[in-house]
Amino acid sequence: MSLKAGGELPHITKDIDQERILRWAKLSGDFNRLHVDPEYARETPFKGTIAHGPMSLAFLNELMMNCLGEGWVNGGRLLDVRFLAPIRPSDQIVIKGRVEALYQEGGTHWAECHLSITKADGQVAVTGRAVGPLKETAS
Amino acid sequence: MENNKPELLFEDLPEGRVFRPMVFEINRERVNTFMETVGDHHPLYWDQKIAKSLGGPIAPPGLAAVFARLSYLQDNTMPSGGILAKQEFEFQAPAQVGDTLTVQARVFESYLDEKGRRRVNFLIQAWNQDRKEICLIRLYAIWPK
Repeated sequence: MSLKAGGELPHITKDIDQERILRWAKLSGDFNRLHVDPEYARETPFKGTIAHGPMSLAFLNELMMNCLGEGWVNGGRLLDVRFLAPIRPSDQIVIKGRVEALYQEGGTHWAECHLSITKADGQVAVTGRAVGPLKETAS
Repeated sequence: MENNKPELLFEDLPEGRVFRPMVFEINRERVNTFMETVGDHHPLYWDQKIAKSLGGPIAPPGLAAVFARLSYLQDNTMPSGGILAKQEFEFQAPAQVGDTLTVQARVFESYLDEKGRRRVNFLIQAWNQDRKEICLIRLYAIWPK
């Protein structure tokens, strides 16, 4: 994939539902009732179940794997990922990235990207930064 | 069941605590479950030909988010109300499907912040069976009690 400074990474869209949250609970072993028990979660300040934060990390990694491929697992860094708003069942989210800088260091070409996960109403749920080597595209 | 384990409390998390190493198998079933759950079917996770230069299919890097949390909850449950404030990953080398990872967590900071919140920050390292470094994770949490 050819990247240029200021350019957008191809975004990913996900539909979140309670079934996906339950599957993540089984995968991760995190059965916190805030995630898996709608009746319990309704009585909390969140007023309903929310998706696990680490699931969002998986989505950000998917975005970077799509862009950098094997380079991402050979020196990629996902940095300063912050969880700003809960992601809920029935949310449709968009995982986006923008190339902030391209540079060369130590003989390797690097891309630095700003990442975000945005909900359909425009609310930003997650932000982060990615720095990874362009091993597939630098040659 | 995790529910039979005691809760991991702030008082159990002094700075410098090192948790016992955890073994985490990167097997095909786990990778397939991850792909289905996340909806991420990158060919490097399953296509032998495309992943040939890497020695075969690799683990989705997002699996690190799973084993990071498990590494400090082997003997405890997470009390309700915790907040994952920030997380960072450095992917040092790919993990192959079939690898056996060893994952170890250490508390590198534990303190009350200016608002009196219990802050616990973990440094988590994963190695493969050849002791090759796979992933380094920094996890910053606000602990509930």
